[in-house]
Amino acid sequence: MLQSLAALQSLLVGVVLIWSARIKLLDRRVAGQVGNSALGTLLGPERAVPAYRLLGGVELLLGVALVLPPAPVAEPVAATALAAGFVGYLWYARRVAPGASCGCLSAKATPVTGRSIGRAGVLALAGLFGVAAGGTYWLPALTGAPAASVGLLLAEAALIVALSPEFDSGWLLPLRRLRVRLTSPLRGGSGVPLLASVQQLQLSAAYRQVAALLTSDVREHWLEESWRMVCYSARYQGRPATAVFAVPAAEVAPDRVRVALVDDSTGATLVSLADPAYAS
Amino acid sequence: MANTMDRRRLLSTAVLGGAGIAGATALGSLAPEAAFAAEPVKIAPGAPDPNFAEGRVTSITGSVVLLAGSDGALHRIQVTNGTSIWKFQPTTFDKLTKGDGMYVRGVRLPDGTLAADSLWANIVNLTAHIASVGRNVLYLDHHGKRLIGHVVPGTTAAVYNGTPAISDVSLLKVGGHVQVIGAWHPDTNEISIATVYAAN
Repeated sequence: MLQSLAALQSLLVGVVLIWSARIKLLDRRVAGQVGNSALGTLLGPERAVPAYRLLGGVELLLGVALVLPPAPVAEPVAATALAAGFVGYLWYARRVAPGASCGCLSAKATPVTGRSIGRAGVLALAGLFGVAAGGTYWLPALTGAPAASVGLLLAEAALIVALSPEFDSGWLLPLRRLRVRLTSPLRGGSGVPLLASVQQLQLSAAYRQVAALLTSDVREHWLEESWRMVCYSARYQGRPATAVFAVPAAEVAPDRVRVALVDDSTGATLVSLADPAYAS
Repeated sequence: MANTMDRRRLLSTAVLGGAGIAGATALGSLAPEAAFAAEPVKIAPGAPDPNFAEGRVTSITGSVVLLAGSDGALHRIQVTNGTSIWKFQPTTFDKLTKGDGMYVRGVRLPDGTLAADSLWANIVNLTAHIASVGRNVLYLDHHGKRLIGHVVPGTTAAVYNGTPAISDVSLLKVGGHVQVIGAWHPDTNEISIATVYAAN
């Protein structure tokens, strides 16, 4: 039983290699992206694309050999060596070119993480089990115990997918979206944020008239009945002053924004501006 | 505190009192010649702006802040009553601490001190993807690096599709692209989110 389950590992490794080769050989976007991947950083952009295609060719040959009969023990040995090479390459790439794309199983740029290294490790382990099967072909094992075999293969495929950041958008993001929909963890606040008032005052005629006099960003703000008061520092005729804007808090009405310039030392109102239509 | 209330009452009365409504001409000529007559800023192309400084706070003495710039330059910043101070929100000088990173804009005094007009502590401006969402926390993927963004109810604002800012951040989507203005928690990968811009 164990022997036949071990024989199945060649099928798994073979399918993953063929999938990986398909991306490397057929995806047109890849050629443009390899230069930015870890391979491009390690080999240089000119040599990266041929090396990438060559690797895809090796993966395809090995993958097809693993899936098709006969099943000499040399095939899983080669696959294990290749997967072990991937582990070493990814580990090295993460140290030398952190943040660079892995270019493993998808054209999507995905940085090398512990997950991609773990995935290459799982493949190497599966390859070792294939070696332990000692040249047994996988098809008799599959037909011998179909339920157990299919269950094992599905579980392993799920593990490979779970360890692949490239496939996250297919299952992980929808799961997280579902969780957000069910639990609504983002409560936020209520009321009008300061930014809404600042956006409104920046659209107002009052702001346009005094903008050149302002010297600072927002200094303080508070609510006064239906108004939000927003203060800036200003200079008016050489004197330091405070520009205080009154912005309607509950509505979007830039026309109603008023401003006054108040002398900082005497407290005297230097200028007070409001749209005449709204001046009380 | 009583001082603050008195000051606020004075300012409110000045702007809402309705007395002394003046036209725009009280501020001088609006003709373009007046604007073009202003003195041009004297900075050689490529030279650093003398009226700007950035760095981490190494000490605060009285109202003087010493900054160690990321390019190695040291800056003396003089904070005044008229300086606006932002640290996640408009705040006061006593909230600044050693280790804060900051951007300062002001006027360079003859002794090399920068008299600050505006000061922004720990401000960051990031583009990121929302990788996951927790209880009032956004897990952000910022060019392959994980950032933790805290939503602060009552302060965090959200801008969807460029419409006016609102407080409701619940429309953010996992997987969505966002731009975040926030305050960095020094020496961590965490920020408090002041404004999040998103498409919706």
